[in-house]
Amino acid sequence: MSYGSAPASQFGMVRVTSGEAGTAAATERDARDLRWSRMMAAAQAGDGRAYEDLLRECLPLLRAICRARLRDATDAEDAVQDTLLTIHRARDSYNATRPFRPWLVAIAERRALDRVRSRGRRAGREVPVDAAGEVASHDPSVEAGLDAQRAAATLRGAVQDLPTAQRTALGLTKIEDLSLAEASRRSGMSVGALKVATHRAMGALRRRFGAGE
Amino acid sequence: MRSEDLIHRLSADLRPVRPARHPAAATALWLGVAAVVILLAVLVSGPRHDLAARLAAGFDLPQILAATATGILAAFAAFQLALPERDRRWALLPMPTVIAWLATMGWGCLQDLARLGPDSLRVGVSLPCLAFIVGLGVPLTFAMLWLARHAAWLRAGPVAALGGLSAAALASVGLSLIHHLDAAAMVLVWHGLSVMVLAGLASLLGPRVMRRGLAAP
Repeated sequence: MSYGSAPASQFGMVRVTSGEAGTAAATERDARDLRWSRMMAAAQAGDGRAYEDLLRECLPLLRAICRARLRDATDAEDAVQDTLLTIHRARDSYNATRPFRPWLVAIAERRALDRVRSRGRRAGREVPVDAAGEVASHDPSVEAGLDAQRAAATLRGAVQDLPTAQRTALGLTKIEDLSLAEASRRSGMSVGALKVATHRAMGALRRRFGAGE
Repeated sequence: MRSEDLIHRLSADLRPVRPARHPAAATALWLGVAAVVILLAVLVSGPRHDLAARLAAGFDLPQILAATATGILAAFAAFQLALPERDRRWALLPMPTVIAWLATMGWGCLQDLARLGPDSLRVGVSLPCLAFIVGLGVPLTFAMLWLARHAAWLRAGPVAALGGLSAAALASVGLSLIHHLDAAAMVLVWHGLSVMVLAGLASLLGPRVMRRGLAAP
């Protein structure tokens, strides 16, 4: 079955050099949306071939949306597959009297954002150990390197858990090693407040890692 | 699994589905179902003896109109939100009528206070109110969840909450037609409590019901 001519460009990213070219691109987008809409209507009626063709044509658009939200390629592809599953489960929520692209984009945006949120939550719990595969080497330097990585990750986690003011003060005065005046200018906190927040942050970290005051 | 393989799998055993209705058509269908159910409940229970007199005197009319408008607008907003591409601000649509509804009940309390004194604000227990609204509202909410089942995988929580609000508001209208509660404070507390219970239950349990029981796999 034919659903109209295939688009010459991918998802409307056409270079517009004049008003005429812009109109042509818009017309092309309209034609493609109409074709996708017809394919989806056929898919809703049970046409598996139209459905497969449609999803394959939409895949570059879905990837572009998910990659714009997620830098990690694996996460982006997972979000694309979440989107495909949602499209499949919610395919009855499309009505062929409405444009297809906004429906598709809304689902992809939502699933990509869900993945961004779950990644944010996961990142807070994970300790990245890139060299885990080298543990089996029995090389003491690898073990020491891994211990250092774990310690650094634990320290980063502890700093992240500090209240915002303490984290900011610690970051500017101890990690970036700025003068109190410069740290005050950058953070908007007074010098006194910076001193107190830094002192409290150091105290909290000492207590957390079992060191004496 | 590669995305291309997933697409092939999804397409291999595709079942036909019925496209979602336009929100206005879905709202009309929902109101028809709700009207029949509520009318039956009113006929079974018998309308309150002083209904015509109270409506003519204008006592309950603003409250009934505001509750009806809330039921209609909450349903329309639920069906709009059930479509993925619609703006999430549709959820705010019934807010003015909810406020108006609360205001009519609050105004009733003030009128009672002026007419009958502080005793009119004493709130007793009226479990039949709660039982009627929740008892009628729960099956109506299920009907709403079924009509908006295509939202199961996207905005199930807000859609279910608005559906519960619509069902509870319409059940409250039904209750106003059969149950005798003269004190506006009693109406405010028991109708308001019932609506909150139903909308809260719908938003908590509705998404699970939609995904497990109603939505197509």
